[in-house]
Amino acid sequence: MEKLYQLLDGCKWLANVPDSLLSAVAIVVPILLIITVFPGIFAYTTLIERKALGRVQNRYGPNRVGRWGILQPIADGVKLLTKEDIVPRKADKFVHLLAPILAVIPSLLLFAVLPVGPGLVPVDLHIGILFVFAISTASVLALFMGGWASRNKFSLLGAMRAVAQVVSYEVPMVLAAVAVVMAAGTLSTVGIVAKQSGGFLSVTNWFVFQPWGFVGFVLFTIGAMAESARTPFDIPEAESEIIAGYHTEYSGFKFALFQLGEYLAAIAMAGITVTMFLGGYNGPGVGLKYIGPLIGVGWFFAKLMTIILVIIWIRGTWPRIRVDQLMAFAWKVLLPMSILNIVAVGLWHYMESKLWAWLVTAAWLLIWAIVLTKIGTAQNVERRTYRYAT
Amino acid sequence: MGLLGKNLFAGMAVTARNFVGSYFDGGRKERLVTYQYPEERMPLPENSRTFPFLVYDEDKDPVGTMRCVACKICEVECPPQCIYIVMDRDEKGKPRQRPKVFDIDISVCMQCQICVEVCPFEAIKMDNDYEKSQYGRFDDLVEHLPDLLKSNDYYRQIKPTEAGAVDAKLKAEKEKKAKKAAPAVVPKPVPAALAPKPAAAAAAKIAIPDDAPFTPEQRQWLSGFLSALGAGVAVPSKSVAEASASAPAEADASAAASAPAAEAPAGDWPWHDAGMGMQQRMDLVKDRSFADKLMAAMAQTDCHACGYDCRGYADAIAAGSENDLSLCLPGEAETESMLKKLMQEAGKV
Amino acid sequence: MNAAFWILSAMSLIGALLAISLRNLVHCVLSLILFFLGIAGHYFLLRADFLGAVQILIYIGAVAVLILFAIMLTRNVTGTEGPRELFGLGWWTGLGTALIVAAVVWVTVDSAPQAATRSPGQAVSSVEQIGKSLLNQWVVPLEVLGVLLTAALIGAVVIALEEVVRRR
Repeated sequence: MEKLYQLLDGCKWLANVPDSLLSAVAIVVPILLIITVFPGIFAYTTLIERKALGRVQNRYGPNRVGRWGILQPIADGVKLLTKEDIVPRKADKFVHLLAPILAVIPSLLLFAVLPVGPGLVPVDLHIGILFVFAISTASVLALFMGGWASRNKFSLLGAMRAVAQVVSYEVPMVLAAVAVVMAAGTLSTVGIVAKQSGGFLSVTNWFVFQPWGFVGFVLFTIGAMAESARTPFDIPEAESEIIAGYHTEYSGFKFALFQLGEYLAAIAMAGITVTMFLGGYNGPGVGLKYIGPLIGVGWFFAKLMTIILVIIWIRGTWPRIRVDQLMAFAWKVLLPMSILNIVAVGLWHYMESKLWAWLVTAAWLLIWAIVLTKIGTAQNVERRTYRYAT
Repeated sequence: MGLLGKNLFAGMAVTARNFVGSYFDGGRKERLVTYQYPEERMPLPENSRTFPFLVYDEDKDPVGTMRCVACKICEVECPPQCIYIVMDRDEKGKPRQRPKVFDIDISVCMQCQICVEVCPFEAIKMDNDYEKSQYGRFDDLVEHLPDLLKSNDYYRQIKPTEAGAVDAKLKAEKEKKAKKAAPAVVPKPVPAALAPKPAAAAAAKIAIPDDAPFTPEQRQWLSGFLSALGAGVAVPSKSVAEASASAPAEADASAAASAPAAEAPAGDWPWHDAGMGMQQRMDLVKDRSFADKLMAAMAQTDCHACGYDCRGYADAIAAGSENDLSLCLPGEAETESMLKKLMQEAGKV
Repeated sequence: MNAAFWILSAMSLIGALLAISLRNLVHCVLSLILFFLGIAGHYFLLRADFLGAVQILIYIGAVAVLILFAIMLTRNVTGTEGPRELFGLGWWTGLGTALIVAAVVWVTVDSAPQAATRSPGQAVSSVEQIGKSLLNQWVVPLEVLGVLLTAALIGAVVIALEEVVRRR
């Protein structure tokens, strides 16, 4: 937004427009871009997901609506818009209406701190990463309100499980991000990406190539998948689970808003992952004079789509984790790992020789990863005793 | 490692292979098993069946070459009674051996294939066409004769083995019939099915072709005789003409043979009802002639499975010209045993 | 005073008033969340962005969720209660407590030496400064807080564990 303002300011000699108009335009244009581009990505992500899952599952995806199913998201949108909006009779109407709205707003707000290109970020917040986490905890409320307002015991149960899952996985996620913040020395997303620029072909400085960065990347991605309730953590919304969890009693456009909120959160979290670990918009060719920014935007979206494709790939492959395994995994494996990751970053920061730092932190993390996965996922299953068996 | 392990990535490799393989021609056939309906349809196995259809033999005249003779066996045997048949009759009321109306209500049909099993003429077979949806629930789901007629080529295409077997069987029957007909110059008597409609036996002049070798007296007698026999029979064939030429010589014999026919005109056959049971029919015919009793033992469908109609078969047995008692297909063993019993009682076995 | 201040103040006050007067408990919590948002906005206005973000993170993301869980697990589904009497004992108690708290806050703010001299619009503290002061000047309270939170965590685990043991 700043860059746009400067750009417009530079064109001031064309016409004598007042400053307030310039700032208004500089604010509105990024908002419009976010509102059109990212929901568009969401719509076609749903299509890509259905087609990719279909191919993985030995069938075609949707291919009737347009050639290759291109118009399928539009058809889905029209269908959901024209459905009857059913609210249970004794449900809390106000909260029932508010829940899907509260699901979408934080997801949209997350895009405000995503740097898509050099100088191309809607708002360069001093506290970028903290803002991201503050907003994503606000989305927990929507889950809860959705389940409560439906006045349906099963929705409530689903909502409770969803809230427990989201809150549990937020902790290792935030701690993994803390490791990055420690290494970059700033909470601002633009600063983090700037720290990862340079290097050979603008690639080698990415944090993911450091051992603590790799572990942090894995932890953050797992946390992001659990936040947006994607398989294998999709107990809140899986087809065979408690009806549909917290969005059972929603139909028509409110349901569409829940889906929109969930997918946008997944896309935004993927974007934050790219920013923090994969170097944001850095890639070969981003330092060039005039087309550098465009190439940077291209790299950002390429990496974003890669992460989304990996998330879809994982969805098509792995089975769902049971809710107690889920909680055990979060608290017994991921949380200790993220704390040890912070220790590794500290070690790395204070060692002079970067090569030794790399090796020592890699060894430290590897050992602890093996230990934790062995201990944390061990299930002490005793032999069953049957009280009434003869 | 319970939950985590390298199998996670082995699984991802499998799905990746599935995904990538489905885009290339080698993998597409074996991976994407979807049939893109309605552009492609799944090839159905030969035994699959939906609703019946009628077979005809030659494309240039479907109605003329259809195998169905409107014997109504399938109508009687159909468990939910979804078939309705009306025999086609010519202007004089003489039945042409084919249906005028053949309706199957496919909303009732339970696809049990019993009609196929009982048809003596291999005329009705099961189709495997499943795209029969209509917009109406009642009349639109009744299939009429034009919809039901499909060619033998179509039958051979959908059920090759079955059609091959049927074709072979029909060919063998035709050969057997031809062999049986060849030595005997005397063909079977002109079907006395003409008798049932005496009202239609008006004085209709039959045209005997001019090149037939008759003397004028023979010609006159012949035309009178044939007119008395009834309407609807064109007599162009030489063998029949020859046989009829010798008919005056055997006029007494045939008169004697048809005497029982002349005795009991068609309206007077209360047992001639395909729905009646054997016992009821025999009760009705208690004090009638021997040929009547024989006729009551038949299945009363006039299906011509035996080669005659019911009256003609009875007359032939009574006259002694037909010795095979098992020809009545609808009647099956019941008719055969009753005929045997009657013949034994009459001392003619 | 710009318009943002007035809007945020209105939002906070309305949220607070609704939180104590609505009938449905869940609606009360939602208006409390509105109040928290207003306070977070005030923090942003005072250029304490870290504190504002942390306010949203902790108060809305954790405390409000905790209150909602508590309501859900202890009340009936609708969250409505019987009518509350006006000018009853509870009312007087609440009024008294509010007056005491207001008095304490007034005295504290009045006696704080820096409140009058700091002009608005200056970045008072950045994340780096907060971090540095936490680990240099205020390290003992930080460690004590850590011990306190650990104790709370262990206590929660013990309570949950006890139930499981007792049930078996």
